[in-house]
Amino acid sequence: MQYWINHNGVQSGPVDLDALKQMGLTSSAYVWHEGLADWVKITQLPELQGAYIMEGSMPEDPVPPQPALNQSEPEIVDSYQPQPQPQPAQPQQPVQPQQPIQPQYAGQQPANAEPCPPTNLVWAIISTVLCCLPAGIVAIVYATQVTNKYRAGDIEGAKRASEIGAWWCIAAIILGIILQPLVSLLPSMMGN
Amino acid sequence: MRRGLLILLVVALLLVFGLIYYSLDPSQSGLFPQCAILKFTGYKCPGCGSQRAIHALLNGDVAGAFRYNALLLIAVPWIAVCLYAESRRTRNPRLYARLNAPLLAWMLFIVVVLWWLLRNIFNW
Repeated sequence: MQYWINHNGVQSGPVDLDALKQMGLTSSAYVWHEGLADWVKITQLPELQGAYIMEGSMPEDPVPPQPALNQSEPEIVDSYQPQPQPQPAQPQQPVQPQQPIQPQYAGQQPANAEPCPPTNLVWAIISTVLCCLPAGIVAIVYATQVTNKYRAGDIEGAKRASEIGAWWCIAAIILGIILQPLVSLLPSMMGN
Repeated sequence: MRRGLLILLVVALLLVFGLIYYSLDPSQSGLFPQCAILKFTGYKCPGCGSQRAIHALLNGDVAGAFRYNALLLIAVPWIAVCLYAESRRTRNPRLYARLNAPLLAWMLFIVVVLWWLLRNIFNW
């Protein structure tokens, strides 16, 4: 079985089970393999038990592992929830199935934990080739910006570039496929 | 459900347009709009000749399609792969990420701009 991994916003894979165990993943990692509808937390796959380190504890740490959310202030959390047993399978935070890659843990690169917004590159190419308008070319430039800004951690900028690029595509398609035929047919209609 | 309906609509539209472009020749029939940019500026845009190229392609004339708009002929398989990657983004994020990498997008940008310039210089 081949696994894809999203660990602190960094995606990797495919790797097999043995390689995955060597990666030193923590419990905040997400994994996906063929057959799964979406990314799941690494803690949710029974075959991966022991393939990751609970966040907040070192691998050779004798004390019970603590959920990573509480990493910064463990004393307070302990007073709220005395937990003598290690609990490897269940993170404290409820998993939200609609937004599987959420920055839930310890605030590590929260921006990158969100998936990259759509680049609209395909639509840019389609509108360039089909719409007789250079607007698609602008959309291609915005497509590069989406990924660049996302990689730099500027998630808001990436979203903005994604949206502006999408509007260029929409403008190209509306002007090129709907309005332009009207414009070019108009003179011939008036001429006749 | 909504996704299925959308796909059905897109397939139906593609079939209708495919039939129109298959049976009617844009270079003969006056039904097809001429590119406004070509008409008003005299310069070809990157998409000029696409309608004739699609007609040629649907009738199995690959060489003709290449003559009318070489970029379209190259873009068709590329677009197909990209759309496939788009639809499988959650299942195969690597393919999507590779196809949408900034370096590749810049290369596409250069190809399109070069095509735009060269076809006007050499009248392709």
